[in-house]
Order: sequence, then structure tokens, then C-alpha cells
Amino acid sequence: MANEQEMVTIFVNGEEVEVPKGTLVVEATKAVDLEIPVFCYHPQLEPVGMCRMCLVETGNSLNRDGTAMVDEAGNPTVQWGPKLVPACTTPVNPGMHIRTNNDRVEDAWRGTLEFLLTSHPLDCPVCDKGGECPLQDLTFAYGPDMSRFYKRNKYHFEKPIPLGELIWLDRERCIYCSRCVRFCEDVAGDPVLKFAGRNRGQEIVTDSVPPFDSYFSGNTTDICPVGALTTEDFRFKARVWELTNVPSLDPFDAVGSNIMLGTRADGIKRVMPRQNDWVNGIWISDKARFGHHFVGSSDRLTTPLIKENGEFRDATWQEALELVAARLGETVEAHGAEAIGALIGDRIANEDAFLAVKLLRDAIGTPNIDSRLHWPTGTGVEEAVAKVGLSSGSNLADLGAGTVILAIGTDLEEEQPSLYLTVRDAVQKGAQLILTQSRSVKEMHDAQTPLRIVPGAEAHFAALLLRVLFNDEKPDFGKLGGGDELYDGIMTLHPRETLNQTGLSPEAVDDVVAALGNASNLVVLLGREAVVNAGANAPALVDALVALLAASGKAGQLNSGLLPLLPHNNSQGVADMGALPSDGGATSDAMLSGEAGLRAMWIIASDPAAERAASRATLEALDFLVVQELFMTETAQLADVVLPAAAFAERDGTWTSLMRRVQRYEKALEPKGAALPDWQIVRRLAAALGADWPGCYTAQDVAAEIAKSVKAYKGMTYDALRGDPVAWTKNAFGHHIYSGTSFLNAWYGQQWATEAEGRRPKYDLATPALQEIERGDGFRVIFQNKQYDNGTLIARTELLDGRRSSGFVKMSPEDAAGLGIVWGDPVHVRVDGRDSTLPVIIDEALVRGAIVLPRQCSDVNATPALGTTAQFATVERAVEAMPA
Amino acid sequence: MLDAMIKGFGTTLKTMFRKPVTISYPEVKRPVFERFRGRHELKRHDNGLERCIGCSLCSAACPADAIYVVPAENTNEARYSPGERYAETYEINMLRCIFCGYCEEACPVDAIVLEHNYELASYSREAMIYTKDMLIVPPPPGAEGTPQQSYAPPPQFMENPSTHMNRAEGPPPGGRITTYVAPEEKVSAYVRRSLLDADRDGVIDDEEYRS
Repeated sequence: MANEQEMVTIFVNGEEVEVPKGTLVVEATKAVDLEIPVFCYHPQLEPVGMCRMCLVETGNSLNRDGTAMVDEAGNPTVQWGPKLVPACTTPVNPGMHIRTNNDRVEDAWRGTLEFLLTSHPLDCPVCDKGGECPLQDLTFAYGPDMSRFYKRNKYHFEKPIPLGELIWLDRERCIYCSRCVRFCEDVAGDPVLKFAGRNRGQEIVTDSVPPFDSYFSGNTTDICPVGALTTEDFRFKARVWELTNVPSLDPFDAVGSNIMLGTRADGIKRVMPRQNDWVNGIWISDKARFGHHFVGSSDRLTTPLIKENGEFRDATWQEALELVAARLGETVEAHGAEAIGALIGDRIANEDAFLAVKLLRDAIGTPNIDSRLHWPTGTGVEEAVAKVGLSSGSNLADLGAGTVILAIGTDLEEEQPSLYLTVRDAVQKGAQLILTQSRSVKEMHDAQTPLRIVPGAEAHFAALLLRVLFNDEKPDFGKLGGGDELYDGIMTLHPRETLNQTGLSPEAVDDVVAALGNASNLVVLLGREAVVNAGANAPALVDALVALLAASGKAGQLNSGLLPLLPHNNSQGVADMGALPSDGGATSDAMLSGEAGLRAMWIIASDPAAERAASRATLEALDFLVVQELFMTETAQLADVVLPAAAFAERDGTWTSLMRRVQRYEKALEPKGAALPDWQIVRRLAAALGADWPGCYTAQDVAAEIAKSVKAYKGMTYDALRGDPVAWTKNAFGHHIYSGTSFLNAWYGQQWATEAEGRRPKYDLATPALQEIERGDGFRVIFQNKQYDNGTLIARTELLDGRRSSGFVKMSPEDAAGLGIVWGDPVHVRVDGRDSTLPVIIDEALVRGAIVLPRQCSDVNATPALGTTAQFATVERAVEAMPA
Repeated sequence: MLDAMIKGFGTTLKTMFRKPVTISYPEVKRPVFERFRGRHELKRHDNGLERCIGCSLCSAACPADAIYVVPAENTNEARYSPGERYAETYEINMLRCIFCGYCEEACPVDAIVLEHNYELASYSREAMIYTKDMLIVPPPPGAEGTPQQSYAPPPQFMENPSTHMNRAEGPPPGGRITTYVAPEEKVSAYVRRSLLDADRDGVIDDEEYRS
């Protein structure tokens, strides 16, 4: 993009340089490696010119008509401005001269620093920012060695006050740069911080309940140029220079945010973002930042356990693995390999999944392998991603005007918080966000076209888009060709009938189709709720979206494609490694419902007993269950053998993000007790089963094996995932003064290419086979994810207990009124024969006839069902009134 | 030759009447110079609170990497030092220490001082790691040791900002203004100047850290 822009010539301290027109002076001087000191300026925020640190002298060398300015003698001259100007709010103009190396500017910088320090407490020795503090650094670089102000005149505030449980505010240290306020308003979309008061009494306040109610609050501590905002997590844990920083990845959502684990002798002290402009920029969510406590949790499994007479006893690895091998062998002998099933959790690394699948397929010979517990099975989304997934090389940070983001059933903020920031940024830069949802989600406020759709009609909507898009004319499928069958199939749809099913207005659909037609690129975000709600129609939904991308000519184009919002950090990678049922193998639904008739199961990093109530009976009935876990989960309690696995920080490996970016993380700590990385457990188990895998001694060896045998991962060895270390690739260069993070990043990762990107793409366009939307008695249940729930990992972070979601049920205003319920009333909700009593939240955007329940939250006695059947609930007013 | 002999025996004769330089250590200990750098001590304030604020600057300055500090936060129930922060763990590996005194120099609150104890021998390596309770001096006579209790109000969530914005006078809630009182005229110019110098920024004011 930059090369299309008009360039202007400017002079920085006499040095001639060309920069794009409209560049701010503070950015332009970076072209000659000149850093202008700043406090309030931040490349990702709108400049405000509040701190007056960046004052520079500017002058003109051109007249208004563009001719060179000359003095009386006819020599070229520069007309210097009468006053200094802030570099962060002044754009360059042609022939501009910028001067920073004279007394005038140096005086201004020194003066500003002296002034900022008049009321700064200078308690650097106890300040958590000390050592990476822009105020400290700039004072050393440009500030006065002595102040002319008296220390006794300093204005004192009471030492830190909590802005919520996670962030502390030390008002004395604040220099009123408003970076935090602007971040919350502009980037995060949570306008919860404000300035209050005037003059020296000015302070940051939060006006939300609970205080500082944002999923991104930790980022304000990174960009705070002083120690005014610090996190509770890192409060007095260590000094920053004492930490060993290890590059790692966000273990929660599927975006694969790059993080840095700051470790000291006894564990992880803090988590900081590590910049990767293709993934998370410089932001991370609070869950990534504060959720690391599960690694050091005291209830981690530290030794293999064998159940004897209903009680677990400690065992050695050899003992446990020999028992597992023997029991699996017996099962194969007695009932055949098909009697063994494996549920491979989508949190484990590619290396682990690769070896586990290899063991199951080659050594044991069972086709019953699945990794999908949180994402419905049989949707065909894995194939769809391989066909038209977001093109490799795409950078969502580049999205702007001309882009259409079609979000179907997404809840970005709760499920993929880092991606929410990216999408919000794109919308602010002019992208059009079309959202179909059945309930209120945060991106609904960002979407230009929010559509309230009947839950279950997502596939109908997508098919309808195709129908209107085709408009009696077969589209050109470009390089792919064909598509006759699809066209004929779609044209048999009755538009009006289909429209009625979705509950949308015809104008809304026309608008969406018009937007699609005008789009220069199209990103389709497929939310978990959409595929869950679509139920039996989920394959049709996926087919329709593939067809939509192909028909609109966007498939394979840069910054376009399908992006399913997969549930976990490595959902994509585990599927890539082949952890999916093959050759008629049973899906996770079939395995857990007992349909597959398994006798033995191997469950890795997954807790179906807690998350799918219906699976408990099946697991109990198994002859043999081995669970590989970090914690004694409900599933592990049912196991015969429990194998302790190492947490992500205790090993190295690769994960594949939802954008199919394969990224590496490094080992930061030693495993707890006798815990081993999952791939090592698999390898030892393979040895116990008599399989010999030579050459797999490190995770790197396994990755090399993957690079050889998995087609999409060709050549993706650890070395290939590495690039030149950079700190700040686009907007600034290596300094935390600008960005808040100064970590070098060498592990960018690599994306694997989709079929549509190929020169001669070849994939089938299936006609979406629509089925009737499932109807039932009572309210249709929509399960919602909450970021801070009682999930196995996040439940271990006590810091977040105050934010942890308790149970609720959301109802539409009409339904609530029909039952005579107002906000907060307790109701009995009965799902699958299980009752919960929950307070009602009225959701204005929720469609009638549906309720929303949070997953894995206390008091909610309901879990999603196995398979694709829709769940219906009865809701009754609780007899007793809520205690006042 | 005779000259030389007389000179030599003369020296012998002279030293025979001098006090011997040999000291019968350990019964007798040789006095050390005032600025001798021996074993470290962690000092206390007069009220018994520890001076150390757990800032780890000693550890950062240490060229031998001999100091390990783990900070923690004071609470009103258990207060170890004035201010917010104290050293929960403070260890010096005396085998590594080279007694350069940089830690003392780096300390912003004069908490660590290299004192005159030089008797550091031990039978094990473990015993050479001096922990905080070995390094800290006993509280001054009459003062309480640590932890102490203090009764300052616990930090509260922010009040409604509008309450103090509407306030006609006085500082905002929680805030406190200390005003500078100009030296009176009768104070001599010299004293005034030194007062001013002491007031200038650039050093951590000791009083800030006292309760």
C-alpha cells in the first residue's frame, strides 16, 4: 500500500528523506533513525498531543506555490516556525524542515521532563515499572539532573488504589497521558476509564461495575509510560530485569497470540505480549495475561496414578505404561482394535497429536480417533478450511475500507478476544462488518449490519445469500470452473420461504448481497454458535459458505477466506495431524454416547464427563479408561490409569492457530514432579506396545517428522518457523517508549496454503442440503461461552475469581414479559431433565423463543448435548422470591 | 662489615623491646578501619521497621550475582517496612560475595551496610547462604520487631468522582497536600541554601519511607 502513496521530501536535522504524505513528524523521523521522545503518543492510538514531550522545531523551505523559498540575496532559505510544535500531531508537508538538535528543542524536552517530575513521587525502587519505564529512560536521556522544584511541594495521593481486582492505580505516578483512556475507548471498545478532577487533583477513575470491566485491561499497564497502572499479577513479584523471558503462545483462544513468559526461579511471574503483526499486534487479552496460574497450580498431577479397588495410588511411569499397554493389548485381542477409541484434546501440541495418531492408527490400528468436543462433529469445516480457508499471507491488520467481514454466529470477545480487537480495528478503518447472531454480543455494536437471525436458520441464510447472489445467472467460478450442479441446486430454493425461516427482512439480505458484490475482499468468520445452532444443517452451512466464497470470486484471494472460530489453541493443528475419525471410525459423539460400543478409551487433555453430562455413563461403563491430563478432572476420576502431562510452559512444541499459522513455543520451566510432555508419554507408551520409532528424541525431531509426512506442513521444521528478530515491524522500531513492549520476536510461524490459492484449484462445490429447522417444546437453548468460566485451566487462576461468571439465563424481553419475569428474577430452567435455578438477564437482542445459558459456570446444571440435536428447555418462575 | 652487623643486630635489639605485632586470634581480635567492608547487615529504622524495601537494586548492582531478593507487599496486619514493599526473602551467598560494597552504594534506603564482621568460615556450602534473619539487626531497644501492625485504613474502591469535583475547597478524597513552608527570614543565607539543597529532587527522601 505504501508505494501507492504520494511521497514528500522532508529534511530531518538537515538530512533529506522521503516519507509518505500525511505521515506524522514523530513517525517520519524514524526514517533517519531519530527517535523523538514521547509519552502520550502511541502508534496504535489516535494522537492527542497531551504530554508536550515531543516538541520539535519545524520550518518551511517551500512557498505556497511550491517554489523554493529564497532570502533577499536569492539563496535558498528556511522559514522556521515561531514556536515549537508537537511532533505527534503535526503531519509532514513537502519541503518541511524538522530540527531536534538545537538548544531550543533540548530545553523544551528538559523542561517538559522537569515539569512532569514536579509531582512524580520518584519511588522507582518500589515501582513495578522501574527498569522499563519510559519516564525513567527519557529522564536519563534528556531530563535535568536536578529539579528547581521543591520536593515538599509534591502533591501526594494515597498509595495505590485498585481499579478492579486486576489493575492497581497509583495516582501520584500518573502523568495524564490518557493512553489507557484512549486504549479502552478506541481499541478495546470498553469506555470504562475516565479522567476526573482538574489540575493537580486530576486522576483516572473507572465508572463501571465491576470496576475496570474490560477483557483487555492488562494492556493499559503495558502502554502506561509510568508506573501508574500496574497489574495485581506482577505486583511486587520481581524486578523486570531479573526475569528470564521465554517466547510462548496464548494457551487459551485459537488466535495463537504471541506472548512472553517472564519467569524467575520458582515459576511464571508475568505474561507480556510479544508483538506479531500477523497475529495479535501488541495486544493480548487478560485471559492470556493472567490465566497462566494453572501451570504452577498446587493441584497439578505430578505422578502417574493407577486405580486399585476404586482408589488411586501413585505409580511409576514404567508400571503405569506397562499396565496401559497390557490392558489395551487385551482389549484388542478380545474385541478387536475397533473397540478402542481415543479422544485427543485440542489443547495439545502438533507433535503430541501426530505421535498419538500414529500410535493409534499404525500400532493399535483403530479408526476411532476424534479431537472435536467443543466443536460439532461432521460439519465438514476441516475440509472447507483446506479448500477456502483464509489465504496464507493474509494479515487481518491490513483490512480496511473495501473489506466485508461476514460474521456468522460469532461471539468474538468471549471466545477469541484477540481477534475481536483485530476485527474492531478493521471496522474502524472502514471494513464492513455483517453479523448474524441470535443474541447480543459485543461486536453487534461494531457491526454496520447486525442481523438477528432465528437460531438454527444460519444455513438457510447462507443459502439464501447464494440464491440472491446468483439471481438467475450462473456466476463465473473463475479458475475453479464448474458449479453447474450447485447453481441448479440453489436455484430450486424458494427465496421467500427460506427468508421466512431466517426471520430476516428482504432488504437486509439485499443489503448483504450488495455489500458482498462491492467487496474487494471477504472474510467469513464462522462462529461456534452458528454451527452448533445449525445442528443438522451445519454441513449445509459450511457448504454454502464455501460456495459463497467461490461464487464471489474471493476464494484464494489475499485477505479473504473462511475463518472458523475454533474453540482451542490447537484445534486446527490437532485436526491437521489427523486426529479425526477415518475409514468409518466413530466420532466423539458416537464414542461418548456409547453408540460406538467401545471397550477402552484413551482421553488426552479433555474433560467430557464434566462438559457433556451424557457421556459420563458411557465412560463409567468402559472396561478400561486411560486419561492423560494436567489435573484430576471429572473424567480423570473415572479413569483406571491417569498419566500426568507437562503444561505448555514446561515443554516446547508447535500449535496451529485458527488462521492455520504454525507457531512454536519454547520451554520456560521444568515439568512438575514426574509429569512428561504428551509426546514423550505417547512415545513411551508406543515402546511399551512394542512400536519402535527411531529418531524421535526431541520435540524438534517429531516436528521434522511432521514436516516430512504431513502434506500441508511440508518443510515446516523449527528452523523454518523462525525469522529475523524484530521488535516492532511496522510502526516503530525497537523501543518500549512507543509500543509498551520491547521484546524481540523471531518466531513468526508459517501458514499453510489452502487449495483455492493454488494455480489450478480443484475442489468440489457441494450443494447445501437444507433440512427443516428443528422445532421442539419450550425454549431453544443457546450455550454461550464466557471467558472466565470454570474450565479446567482458567479455574486455577484465583486472581480471576472475582470476575468469574456465575450462572444466569438470558431471555428476550417478550418472553420474559410473557412469563411475568423482570431482570434478576430467579427461574427454574430444565434442560435434559436437569434443573437449575438461575437469575434472569433480559437480552434485548435475543430472538423470541430462545434462552442463553453460559457453559461451565457455577449453578448451571446443564451441558451441551452430544450430536447435533437441538436442546429445548422449560423455564418456570421460581416460586420463592430472590432474597432481598 | 662491622657496620652492617651492628646495624643488623641493632634492628634485632630494637624490636626486642617493641610490642609484638602478632595478635593471638581468636582470643584477641584486631580492630578494623571504620570503612572496612565485612559481613552485611540489614538495618532497621528507630521504630523497629526494616529499612529494606525489597527493591533488588543491591542484587542488580552485585557483580558476583550473590544476592537474591523476593519482594512482597506490606499489609496493615503485617508490616515489615514503611511503604508498600518489603523483602520477603533476602539471601546473600557469602561464597560468591566479593565484598565490593556496591550493594551498599546502590541501596536507596541505606538498608544494607557492610559491617565489621569478617568471621565467615563455615563447614558447609549451605551455611554460607546468609538468609534474612541472619543478616537483619535486632530492633533497637524499646522498639517492636517485625512484623508490626498498623491501623491505616485499607485501600478502597474509588468513590464517585463527582463528589470531589463539586467540592468547593480542600483536597480530593484520599489526597493530601504538603505545602512547602518558605524558610523564615531570620534563618541565615547559608542555612537556607543548605535547606534548599536538601529539598531538591534526585534522591529518595528518607522521611518518605518512615511511617
